[in-house]
Amino acid sequence: MSSISELYDVCWEEMRDKLRKWREENYRNSEQIVDVGEELINEHASKLGDDVWIIYEQVMIAALDCSRDDLAWSCLQELKRQFPDSHRVKRLAGMRLEALERYEDANKLYDSILQDDPTNTAARKRKISILQAQGKSSEAIRELNEYLEQFVGDQEAWHELSELYINEHDYAKAAFCLEELMMTNPHNHLYCEQYAEVKYTQGGLENLELARKYFAQALKLNNRNMRALFGLYMSASHIAASPKVSAKVKKDNVKYAAWATSQISRAYQVRGCLPTSVGLHTIQVTFWPRLMSSNNCSN
Amino acid sequence: MAHLLLDSSIRLWVVLPIVFITFFVGVLRHYVTQLIHNEKKVDLQQVSDSQVLLRSRILRENGKYLPKQSFAMRKHYFNNPETGFFKKVKRKVIPKNPMTDTSMLTDMMKGNLTNVLPMILIGGWINWAFSGFVTTKVPFPLTLRFKPMLQRGIELISLDASWVSSASWYFLNVFGLRSMYTLILGQDNAADQSRIMQDQMTGAAMAMPPDPNKAFKSEWEALEIVEHKWALENVEEELMCQDLNFRGLFS
Repeated sequence: MSSISELYDVCWEEMRDKLRKWREENYRNSEQIVDVGEELINEHASKLGDDVWIIYEQVMIAALDCSRDDLAWSCLQELKRQFPDSHRVKRLAGMRLEALERYEDANKLYDSILQDDPTNTAARKRKISILQAQGKSSEAIRELNEYLEQFVGDQEAWHELSELYINEHDYAKAAFCLEELMMTNPHNHLYCEQYAEVKYTQGGLENLELARKYFAQALKLNNRNMRALFGLYMSASHIAASPKVSAKVKKDNVKYAAWATSQISRAYQVRGCLPTSVGLHTIQVTFWPRLMSSNNCSN
Repeated sequence: MAHLLLDSSIRLWVVLPIVFITFFVGVLRHYVTQLIHNEKKVDLQQVSDSQVLLRSRILRENGKYLPKQSFAMRKHYFNNPETGFFKKVKRKVIPKNPMTDTSMLTDMMKGNLTNVLPMILIGGWINWAFSGFVTTKVPFPLTLRFKPMLQRGIELISLDASWVSSASWYFLNVFGLRSMYTLILGQDNAADQSRIMQDQMTGAAMAMPPDPNKAFKSEWEALEIVEHKWALENVEEELMCQDLNFRGLFS
């Protein structure tokens, strides 16, 4: 089994910088992190200086993802030795217990952290993840709501709550959470697009109009968001096809749908293939069931 | 204007040593402050309140991106006369008396010890050690009033006030080396005296001004007058006036 440095012909500095890039941009490529990180720790630990601790933490979390308990345990031991009373290390120990499915022990550990420091958000969030892992989604929702009452500014938590609500098909509340995110990040096209999708799923003329507007906003923020372009087309054509609208609204929406179609054709031309009308229809039919299922992973 | 020629050994043995002394004492002060500094304990209530205030401020600034109904719902949550957050929540405020509150007292004492004391000591020593001669000339003309302040130990009536003694060169250094400290010690360093002169606790959403009730009241007023002007009113027209830019879509 050849090492990473031989396989890719990189030196340890490049490996360290790659790990830093993955860490700062929140990548979740755990297998790669484990491979690169394990070699870095085993061969070059002394050269890393103070960076080694944060690399231990990063590798440990990746090891838990890949079920490598041996590696996780050794990283944890090193961290415990260096930082004996740290809450951050305790949280990592709790995460390891969660990975081994020893949820009561993990809960006890997190409770002890919270007793020491009631403002520790990490421990609170881990407790909520335990509830999610055990499948108790209504309790998880309740705990997350309580958490958000105290820490209104935690965007990660709002996003998690919106996903939980989407899973429960409670689209009105999911829309509320996404509105919080849109408010704090007005220039993020992905939140606009997700909000529009939730509104589209809720259905009803008003919601469709809102959906169309927010799809348009997402497109304005990022011209290349194809999902939003399709969403614009779908919502506009649904409004135009509805019997309850006035003639002017119908005309406007037909115009929007036509514009969206022309843009989609242009995109395919840029790609190098021209869609037939049948092709376009097939794309829509295969594309939109993704919306109805609960996985709203933004691309 | 008198053109004085100063001995070049003044430059070597006075100007440069004062710069070095000031600089190294500043660095030393930074490390000593870090050693005897203790963590500020944050109160859950304070963190929560500061985040609520932040949310209200963001609502005011970015509320125009939300639909009218959602904005109204949130404004109602904050400002409703009976059940609104800013109206209903009153925090008990214990006025922190600087004399009796022990933690603030120790903080003040430590602050004084590490900052004011060395400055006085070294200023006095420099004044004693390097007295009786002119050190440098400030590049702008000064009035006669500055003479007794800047020319300690030099009793010459006819000398321009621009020529200053070593003590004033020391004080010039204390303030001037601030940017050097930022370069070497990084931002937020304890050697930066002029920042310590300010009493405020800063930090986004971590600590609160001592009176949250006042902060709530001012947020309430600010939120009351905000109108919702939807930014998405004409978004389709704005979007469709030109073709979409697909550059880089399939790279």
